[in-house]
Amino acid sequence: MPDKVEFVTIFIDGEAYQVPKGANLVDVAKFYADNDIPVFCYHPKMSPVGMCRMCLVELGNSVDRQTNDIKYNADGKPEVMWFPKLQTACTTTVTHGMAVRTDTPKVTDARDDVIEFILTSHPLDCPICDKGGECPLQNLTMRHGAGVSRFDFDNKLHLDKHVPLGELIYLDRERCIQCARCTRFCDEVVGDPVLGFHERGRSLQIVTLSDPPFDTYFSGNTTDICPVGALTTADFRFGARPWELNEVPSLDPYGPEGANISLSTRLDRDSGGVTIIKRVMPRQNEYVNEIWISDKTRFGHHHSRAENRLSKPMVRREDGTLETVSWNEALNTIAEVLKKSAGSVGAVAGPMVSNEDLWELRQLVELTGGSKLGIWPATMTGAEAVAQVGVGTGTNFKDMGKGTTIVVVASDLEEEAPIWFLRTKQARDRGAKLMLLTARPTKLDKYAACILRHHHGETLNAVNNLIGAVLSSDGFTFEESRAEGFDTVKKAKYKGDEAGYDEAAKMITGAENVVVLVGHEGLTLAQHGDVMQSAANLLILTGHVGKPNNGLIPVWPGANTQGALDLGFSAEATADALSQSVVIVAGADPVGTDPAAKAFIASADFVIALSMFDTATTAIAKVILPRQSVPERDGTFTNGERRVQRFYTAQGLIGDTRPDWKVFSQLSNLIDPAVKVRLSAAAVMAEITKNVPRYAEMSYKNLARMEKQFPDVGGDDLYYGGTAYGNHGGLGVQWPVDAEAAGKKLTLKAVKSEKTAKRKGLVAVPVRRLYDRSPEFSASQMMHQRIPSAYAQLSRKDAEKLKVVEGDDITLVFGDGKVRVTAKVDGSTPEGVVLVPVNLTDNPVPTAPMAVEVEK
Amino acid sequence: MLAEKYADKIAKIRSKYPDLRSTVMPLLYIAQEEYGGLDESSLREVAELCDLDPTEVKTIAGFYTMYWENDEKGYKKGKYWLQVCTDLPCALRGADQFFEQLLDHLGVEDGGTTEDGMFTVEHVMCLAACDKAPMLQCNFHFLENLDMEKMKAKIEEWRAEAKERENG
Repeated sequence: MPDKVEFVTIFIDGEAYQVPKGANLVDVAKFYADNDIPVFCYHPKMSPVGMCRMCLVELGNSVDRQTNDIKYNADGKPEVMWFPKLQTACTTTVTHGMAVRTDTPKVTDARDDVIEFILTSHPLDCPICDKGGECPLQNLTMRHGAGVSRFDFDNKLHLDKHVPLGELIYLDRERCIQCARCTRFCDEVVGDPVLGFHERGRSLQIVTLSDPPFDTYFSGNTTDICPVGALTTADFRFGARPWELNEVPSLDPYGPEGANISLSTRLDRDSGGVTIIKRVMPRQNEYVNEIWISDKTRFGHHHSRAENRLSKPMVRREDGTLETVSWNEALNTIAEVLKKSAGSVGAVAGPMVSNEDLWELRQLVELTGGSKLGIWPATMTGAEAVAQVGVGTGTNFKDMGKGTTIVVVASDLEEEAPIWFLRTKQARDRGAKLMLLTARPTKLDKYAACILRHHHGETLNAVNNLIGAVLSSDGFTFEESRAEGFDTVKKAKYKGDEAGYDEAAKMITGAENVVVLVGHEGLTLAQHGDVMQSAANLLILTGHVGKPNNGLIPVWPGANTQGALDLGFSAEATADALSQSVVIVAGADPVGTDPAAKAFIASADFVIALSMFDTATTAIAKVILPRQSVPERDGTFTNGERRVQRFYTAQGLIGDTRPDWKVFSQLSNLIDPAVKVRLSAAAVMAEITKNVPRYAEMSYKNLARMEKQFPDVGGDDLYYGGTAYGNHGGLGVQWPVDAEAAGKKLTLKAVKSEKTAKRKGLVAVPVRRLYDRSPEFSASQMMHQRIPSAYAQLSRKDAEKLKVVEGDDITLVFGDGKVRVTAKVDGSTPEGVVLVPVNLTDNPVPTAPMAVEVEK
Repeated sequence: MLAEKYADKIAKIRSKYPDLRSTVMPLLYIAQEEYGGLDESSLREVAELCDLDPTEVKTIAGFYTMYWENDEKGYKKGKYWLQVCTDLPCALRGADQFFEQLLDHLGVEDGGTTEDGMFTVEHVMCLAACDKAPMLQCNFHFLENLDMEKMKAKIEEWRAEAKERENG
């Protein structure tokens, strides 16, 4: 909640409470008075509609109109003038002296009646309903229901029970109580109005006409907030009963947002008597994902039990055949090679590798005398900029509204970080201004107050010109005490008079808070580094650093890219790391995802691949070690806001696997018996806290710390927030940036604008799609229909020139690589550019922009 | 396509409202008249014209009874859509008998369309013309103080009209 809140006195069932003025009565009663006013249609994350009438209360006023003071009678009780009729608490905001009664017979009767009314046509199929056991309607019926129905069962309206709203979500029409939570969620929260009410009264039903049906990345959330079993996921449908499930705190393994999830697990007969994940639910972390997760997070977990998971260590024999071996043999083989490597050892870690793994990997590489630590994909950099001006600790998109400007640079946020997309959009709905520095239209365009369009690859100049406009804007002064290097900025002579940039500059200088999200679309690695630096300069110059809701957020390619950078890995080192004679590749497939990587790794004599699946990289590896998926182990990830968060062991082991940190630790021990084998992830983290100053506070105990969150969801009163789970795994800890440290001077390092080269021919620009064919996601069969088939997007003009029409099969030729894709032609693609989604094609496409030829 | 065929009409409608979103209802009427009812493709067409999601357009078409959705009813609306009020005040003036006779005369059931696709007859709730009952609404125009004689003549008139239109 914002700081400057005026508190007022209200009386709930006779007790006085100090509560924030203007807050919603249902929220207030719950948060301050622990009084659960039952609701169906109201949800704390959405605006109230007062449709279900379940939250009826008696309201009154105790304020003397003349004096505006609360009147008290002789025994010190407020003298209340009660209003004659009941009112809905959810549409009431609290005012000074308001009195509420929630426990009178009048109120209870009204609620009983509402429940009876809702049940007149609600089926009694709780025993087979997925919601049974955690159903708000069921729970409230236990409290307010009559026990015996006054209606004949036969009089109930029977409607379709298996209406697919797309292949992920099913609608049971009979069970719907018309609360409109799902439709409002899509419309209000996400901005995809793809669910709607059709017809009225008893014939009302939820429909979708989008193509594909229920076309949003957030559809699963509607099943959480549905107060009955009307909406269920294809994933969990008839899968288990809620009371059989254990909730294990975990993290989204895909995105840089670090969404908190809860894995519902149970011992499963059909899966061979091991504990498996039955579903993925959001876990409340108001700083990170509130109570929302994307469908990728929700339905992607099947990869952890995919049949093609690697389960045993394998060694490639002289003749090229793979042989399954014991861990001992595999580790000894590697240790022998590492001992003889003479320091020519490189390591490349993927985006799903935890901090503990990374730390032990670094120890191992350094023990052998190597130093090359790369990340994969090696598309983004800028650790230094983040360390200076990353968003302030305590940053929360939820607090952003009027006075905040959110700048999105070179990113299609919805595809790259859906949770940030959602929260950015909501901040904008609360009054924040959205500025886009992007090369092509994306879904955020319709929310943007200012769009600075530029060509792909020229993002640096756009950012620089914005700095130029800021410098030349009226009344701009720079406090020299803030940072060194202002003269470098002055010397860089940025253009300050580009059309439209003065308005944009005003949006930055005039804003109280500025957050800049930087992606990498259309940028090479070096260009991305420059853009990050320049974005950092912009923030330092305008003083939007070092405090909450100000600073830089990189839209990293994966869940733990930030952690890798924190622990000494970098994208710049990747090429070198791949060119060493011994290369350890952990949780990444460089060979299969970038033609350039293939060339680098060709010089390696010995590739050690730690992988969950067979990939192009394991195909050239001399030793293959099976990795564990996130749910099988514990560890920590650091998200794009530098929040270090824990995930816990949820699922039984698949095959004979070990966590990466253990593998690396054991290898270190084999090479040098003086190095102790770490026995747990917590022990590794203890090492990290000792050796990495930024992580000094990141002990597992600290990371698991909790605080009371608003709204208070996840309790027994599921009707309030839906079945999003309360947080028992901890909120995580952010490490503070330089800008926050008192007395630390920041450094401005101006980056010169690039001369814009004349554009010749077509350039392939790799773009990220949320749903892709990476094995860690596409193993979820149910998502296959949503994953686009391999395509490339062309502008209308280019398509005309090439005589290509929508749907044509075309071949993209880059250097000596070739990919066959389907052409998409649309007006949103800039001329001269071919947008090529990564991880969709069978053959790899470049991960950086590259000249391309299109052949029919 | 509506955009070409009714360009002037659409432009006029758009000039009346502050944003495209608000034009959805009048445009749905145009689509309904043009296609003899609304189906998925016409809803999508209107959605495109109003810059809305097709789902939103469908919910509007579903909420208001003056839109006829072919997909829901299972058949097309007739060219003449006769909505007879049979509420109590009208019934007191014989509207319910009139309604039955009308159904018999045209050989359809309540809510049905004649085989030649000319007429759809259905009973509706109050149309606010109780004093002139029996009455009906034909394509949103009132016909009042009716009896079967008048009605038969009117039906012949409409049939002749339609034939004329067909011939030239």
